[in-house]
Amino acid sequence: MSGADIELKDVRKAYYKDRLEIPVLDGLDLAIRSGEFVVLMGPSGSGKSTLLHLVGGLDSPTGGSVRVGEARLENMNERELTAWRSRHVGFIFQMYHLVPVLTAAQNVELPLLLYRMSSGERRQRVTTALDVVGLSDRMHHRPNQLSGGQEQRVAIARAIVTDPDVILADEPTGDLDARTSEEILNLMNLLNSEFKKTILMVTHDPKAAQHGERIVHLDKGVLHREELTAARAGARA
Amino acid sequence: MILPLSYNWRNLFVRKLSTGLTFIVVAVIVLVLAVLLSFAAGIRASLVATGSPLNLIVLKPGATAESTSILQPEEIARVVQTPGVARQADGALMISSEVAVQSAIPRLGQRDRPANVAIRGVDVLAYAVHDNVRLVEGRWPDAGKMEVAVGRAAQKRFAGLRLNESIALGRLGNRDYTVVGVFEADGGALESEVWGPRPQIQDSFERDVVSSVVVRLGGPADVEPAVAYIRSAAVQLDAKPETEYYRELTAKTTEIVMLTSVLIGIMAVGAAFAVANTMYAAVDGRRREIAMLRTIGFSRGAVVLSFVIESVLICTLACVFGLTASVGFNGMRQDFLSDTTWTVLAYELRLTPGIVAWAFALSVVVGVAGAAAPALRAARLRVIDALRKA
Repeated sequence: MSGADIELKDVRKAYYKDRLEIPVLDGLDLAIRSGEFVVLMGPSGSGKSTLLHLVGGLDSPTGGSVRVGEARLENMNERELTAWRSRHVGFIFQMYHLVPVLTAAQNVELPLLLYRMSSGERRQRVTTALDVVGLSDRMHHRPNQLSGGQEQRVAIARAIVTDPDVILADEPTGDLDARTSEEILNLMNLLNSEFKKTILMVTHDPKAAQHGERIVHLDKGVLHREELTAARAGARA
Repeated sequence: MILPLSYNWRNLFVRKLSTGLTFIVVAVIVLVLAVLLSFAAGIRASLVATGSPLNLIVLKPGATAESTSILQPEEIARVVQTPGVARQADGALMISSEVAVQSAIPRLGQRDRPANVAIRGVDVLAYAVHDNVRLVEGRWPDAGKMEVAVGRAAQKRFAGLRLNESIALGRLGNRDYTVVGVFEADGGALESEVWGPRPQIQDSFERDVVSSVVVRLGGPADVEPAVAYIRSAAVQLDAKPETEYYRELTAKTTEIVMLTSVLIGIMAVGAAFAVANTMYAAVDGRRREIAMLRTIGFSRGAVVLSFVIESVLICTLACVFGLTASVGFNGMRQDFLSDTTWTVLAYELRLTPGIVAWAFALSVVVGVAGAAAPALRAARLRVIDALRKA
């Protein structure tokens, strides 16, 4: 499955604390092409993670519309969003969020349990996903037997095993050293270039941001500015 | 779709202490439940197996048991007129006059703890009237001799009741009787008794009247008219089928079981809280996991079910452990003092399939009840908050 395009129109999101409205996103417009690798940057509280959650169907906007491929997320209820996520989105978290009592292969297999497929087919897809991230020789290891980088690779395998349209990554290298971060980011580039996945990644690291094609800077809940990365700009030139 | 069982199984070992304590609490409750119900099943089996539906036991009106009943010779004479009484080959009416008394006999291995054992004085006719009583060793006591036959259950539970051993009976405990026979009665209450010739027993216990009369009827259709006749003004005594008489003696057991069941119920509520405590800890320790599972598409229902399965898994494993421990009590010989007859009934604890089913049902209920609130908390977890706080 190739990537899906993403369109956000006049998206607003506010939280309430003691009846006080706290706006997080304030009329944001953003369009992402199918197969594009977009990086979200901005100071803390600028709305990056909230935007990621809205695109991933983990939260609903207070106003405006969020479309991912054919799906209009603002019209979906929680049950529909849960089912949609399992089919169309792969998530990568900063802290990996692997289940410590399961092996790498079992962690990768988790999203496939929501699909109707034979155990043989599941096993095949798990092996392929772990091959892609270069960890087929660690499939029977538990998370505590893996390094941080390896854990994140397993998390990436879990994110791609269902062949989703969109991969959402929230600071995927935030807990890794520079060399391992580079390996993970190269892997994400591979998913984007080889498998044509649409990727939306949040990061604070300007060096990591250069792995994307376009950087979107948010500030106070609005799109502050956009820029093409050096690699993309170089490719255009 | 549910999460794999291996996920629940391995999570049981993450919090070994709290899981272990919960396991022990549930296992102990199951053990207590199984032993209690085995006790009740053993007593019921003994009493229900006693008597024949064709035998009527005739007592003094108002008497609740043979031990509190006194029948005068003229009253017994009136019973002879009862319609439908069976006859022996020689034409003799099958009516057995019996005297029921008690004597303190030491328990096997516990000589300092004597029990009140039922002693029954009978005539030879009684061996035919009580058709489920069979001699299995030795012979029946000879009329006119200081001899007794003992029930199999009494022999296994009390001291000095082996063949050819001598036992001191009587009001003053100073009459020596020799054990000449052993009988069985399909595991019923009569097997807990010692039988001797009626005149000798009456003399030894200074009783010049009998306690009861057992009337053997020709067929089931004779029961109702015979009972009506004995209760009528013509006889003025009470009569009921033997089976009914012994069933009524189980009433006390039912009371004990009910009272103890209330205690087990209270313990089960405590166990449910212990399970809840463990599961709350599990939910709190796995907030990130739950949030991740919800993020990748597992529904709230799948999360609830997963925690319930985990809880039920702990409880059913504990149930298996508790039941295994209770097997050690299965077949154990005990005796039970009836507050109606003031004699003991020797019985064996019986672990029946029904008890196993009850134990599993209790453990599943405790598991589900204990997991309900923590599982709902897990399902209500706000995914975004849990991911952020991670």
